[in-house]
Amino acid sequence: MAYVNGQRPLPSRAGLVVVGGGVIGCSIAREATRFISDVVVIEKESDVACGTSKANNAEVHSGIGEDAGTLKQKLNVRGNQLYDEFVRGLGVELKRQGLLIVITQRTIPRDGGMPEEERMELLTRKIPEGIVAYGENAGIKGLRILTRDEVFRMEPNVTREAVAGVFDPTYGLISPYKLTIALAEHAVINGAKVFLNTEVTGFRVEGGAVRAVITDRGEIETPMVVNAAGVFADEVADMAGAGGFVIHPRKGATLLFDRQVTAEYVRSSVAEFRLPGQRTTQSKGGGAMPTAEGNLQLGPTAIETDDKYDTSISAEEIEEIFERFHYLLPDFPRDALISAFSGVRAPTLEEDFVIGASEAVRGFVNVAGIQSPGLASAPAIAEMVLGILHELGLSREPRPDFDPVRPAPPKFSELSNVERNRLIREDPRWGNVICRCETVTEMEVVNAVHSIIPATNMDAVKRRTRTGMGRCQGGFCHNRVAAILARELGIPVTEVTKDGEGSPVFLGVAKEFLGGAAR
Amino acid sequence: MKKTHNYTCINCPLSCALELTEENGEVLEVKGADCKVGQKYAREEFENPRRVVSTTVRVEGGALPLLPVVSAAPIPKALVRDAVRMLSKLTVNAPVADGQVIYPDILGTGVDIIASRPLP
Amino acid sequence: MSAIRRPQCVVIGAGPAGLGAALAAREAGLSDVMLMERDFELGGILPQCIHDGFGSIVFDQVLTGPQYAQRFIERVEKAGIEVKLNTMVLEMRGDRRITAVNPRDGVFELEPASIVLSMGCRERTRHQVMIPGYRPAGVICAGAAQRDINIEGLMPGRRVVILGSGDIGLIMARRFTLEGAEVEGVYEIMDHPGGLTRNVVQCLHDYDIPLHLSHTVTFIHGRKRVEAVTVARVDEALRPIKETERRVPCDALVLSVGLIPENELSKQAGVELDPLTAGPVVDERMHTSVDGIFACGNVVSVFDLVDWVTQTAETAGRGAAEYVLEAGRRKRKPPVRVTAGRNVKFVVPQLLREFDREIDLFFRVEHPERAARTRVLVDGEELYSRKAKMVRPPEMIKAGADPGGARKVEDITVEVVGDEEEA
Repeated sequence: MAYVNGQRPLPSRAGLVVVGGGVIGCSIAREATRFISDVVVIEKESDVACGTSKANNAEVHSGIGEDAGTLKQKLNVRGNQLYDEFVRGLGVELKRQGLLIVITQRTIPRDGGMPEEERMELLTRKIPEGIVAYGENAGIKGLRILTRDEVFRMEPNVTREAVAGVFDPTYGLISPYKLTIALAEHAVINGAKVFLNTEVTGFRVEGGAVRAVITDRGEIETPMVVNAAGVFADEVADMAGAGGFVIHPRKGATLLFDRQVTAEYVRSSVAEFRLPGQRTTQSKGGGAMPTAEGNLQLGPTAIETDDKYDTSISAEEIEEIFERFHYLLPDFPRDALISAFSGVRAPTLEEDFVIGASEAVRGFVNVAGIQSPGLASAPAIAEMVLGILHELGLSREPRPDFDPVRPAPPKFSELSNVERNRLIREDPRWGNVICRCETVTEMEVVNAVHSIIPATNMDAVKRRTRTGMGRCQGGFCHNRVAAILARELGIPVTEVTKDGEGSPVFLGVAKEFLGGAAR
Repeated sequence: MKKTHNYTCINCPLSCALELTEENGEVLEVKGADCKVGQKYAREEFENPRRVVSTTVRVEGGALPLLPVVSAAPIPKALVRDAVRMLSKLTVNAPVADGQVIYPDILGTGVDIIASRPLP
Repeated sequence: MSAIRRPQCVVIGAGPAGLGAALAAREAGLSDVMLMERDFELGGILPQCIHDGFGSIVFDQVLTGPQYAQRFIERVEKAGIEVKLNTMVLEMRGDRRITAVNPRDGVFELEPASIVLSMGCRERTRHQVMIPGYRPAGVICAGAAQRDINIEGLMPGRRVVILGSGDIGLIMARRFTLEGAEVEGVYEIMDHPGGLTRNVVQCLHDYDIPLHLSHTVTFIHGRKRVEAVTVARVDEALRPIKETERRVPCDALVLSVGLIPENELSKQAGVELDPLTAGPVVDERMHTSVDGIFACGNVVSVFDLVDWVTQTAETAGRGAAEYVLEAGRRKRKPPVRVTAGRNVKFVVPQLLREFDREIDLFFRVEHPERAARTRVLVDGEELYSRKAKMVRPPEMIKAGADPGGARKVEDITVEVVGDEEEA
């Protein structure tokens, strides 16, 4: 297998080292393998996509929510346009189901003293036209103004307070962790090596140029480093003397609902239009949207935090989300809540992306401050970074042996019965349903453990197969998944973790606490 | 010297708060009981409280790693923890029949610990 | 795929409900009964309920969960019922077409003449009660912890806080303690325990485990594994009081915060559900709104006693058998709704179609009441009356009504009245 985990030694040299196995790092690594094969990705967690990439809202924005003239907007618009080509061959689905921006009565409150006729003219004509003009100016295509009736025809559950809407058909959704895993595997198929559980501790810089990356597992000589370390990008840049920016973490919480209850509740993503002065936080306001897998999600919030590991959710945030969306979707079935998650974003003080070759350290490229719309911008960020790397000397010659396809493992729940039976005849483990809420079979779990970027813990299996993601949240399947992990990894089940070191699922075997011998 | 002991009656949803007064082990009075069942319960809990013990023991070569076991009759409450601790040291071999005696006369109580299911 | 099989009855789920229903259907004259179970053995949740307290009504004997299950399993094995283990139903349609899968048969389809739903229930999770905080390892529902400890032989915690004083939470407090773990306390948001007094006494008092009423968990600490929880007293509206917050170190949070009937398949088939019970609306034969689909046990409503699950299962199994044997000769009569009268929250069955035999009526009260009397009125005539010293909402109560021969009904009401009130 091309993949090399922490058990194997690091290579002594590489053409490019990418620090950070999030969606940005893996996008850049995959794009780099189109030109060179000796690419190394260093990730300190037990899996790729463990930071911001696993806990965001899966949105491929069009760029309409970004400020004109920013790098963010430019890369977002470009990224959205590149997306279909970017994911081709990866086996990860991009759903362009569109974004409905709803203009409501509270966009301009009635009691603002404005004559009613003028107010309605603004709400139903001038504001929608303004949104469309703004988007078109940024290069976004296909924007369409909707009347109130058209809004309800498209989304019957939206508040009766809606007065008009703008539909943005280029907006889409993609599973951010599935995309990241697929990109990492595709990079590995084309020669890259991904090292998990490996932490960068410093850099060797000589004569103003980067010479090597130093990690807790050894050193790799390299002429080029991409710093895609997410919330830690400032610290990593400072290690090389290539810093000068500060990441101030901001967390965003999202509520996730049972897809059987909410699958039909909204079809596109729905966001409420707020005039610039009405935003209370740095969040673009979030929305109600299906996930890439059909669960409805509400969020996110945007809360400044001091702790880059703060993925907690407060009671206030949960209430805030419900209150906010109660207006937009009044009859929303809040009882169908099955999960909530929070991710830490990595904004800089300037709130824009920081992408560029370091002037202080030659060969060192910072890709920092990548917050929303980072997922949408990923293809364009990778394109831009490759341009920089070419300038720094990375080969411009496309490899003739680049394999354009990353085979995706079959998913039982998505197959026809004929295909299912063909697989079960090959291996009966395809017929053993492990997770009943999401209909995941034993073979899918086994495949995840032995995939190119192997799943070595419960959360990693969950990201690849959806085990434990349903309405029972792993109540029925956690012990079965743990047993398969233990068997396939050849470890005692008490060593199985939720998400890497320090997170054991079980703390002992029966009788052990009574002094009885361990099994 | 008179002493009082408090119990909660478990015999019906009323859950009467019972107060038993005794002197040198002799029950003088039970207060708080709504009925005779509660009176009797308080006396039993004071004089000879007993509990059914259920736990698991390790199994070699079985379909499952553990076998559920239960005492064939209630044993003195004070011995429950010791009984469980003693059983935690035990390993039995599969197959086990339902009701098979796993540990006879636990802690000299005269009560057997039996398998509470068959285990092939 | 081979030709579609058409058994007389397919029972989905082989816990106490499914076991009882399959046996009843077989004994009522069906020769081709198939029992499907997703686990590797029969019994459902019973094999992990190793404590005693089962069977006092059905067997007039106090049994453990495995013993209770075994009595049915032996009969099922002797009765010539076809058992499919490790089998998951993937789809059920309103025309009774079932798609299922197991490793041996692969994906297969069935078109049974009748179906009994007996899928039981699942546990509410931390997000359904919205506990803020981190998402570390060590947050587990009580029933899942019970399976880990009693079946798998694995300890999900060593220093444990339990939220919720339902019976499973109480039972697990004792179980963790006997396995050598430390239970710091049981926290209950209501001002009274959720479980039976017997369990409060024998699971908590016996082991000096504190029960903190009117308390809840307001935050889960620990990024990788649970390190502590914050607990707080709640006010009368059940809102946490900030000033009473206290951090309790622990390595696991065990949740016993309610059960939800598992009706995903029922919804697929278009079975009408009752918002009060979260289970199918059934009639006196446990027949759902969909022709030929019956339901019993915790999928209908969460019962407290397995004995009552068994009783509904027998009704459903017999009902399914009659349905098949009468093969459409009997027309389904328009139902009368069973009225939940004074201090009655809901009644199962919700409907009465034919009052031609003695029927069971299960219900919960809305509020606690002392010196109460339960009665069943059929067209004004009292057909059932029983005194109770105390009735409480957490306890399902059983009543009944015997028509003494088939009779027409226009109104049937279940109510709880003060004992001194006479009709």
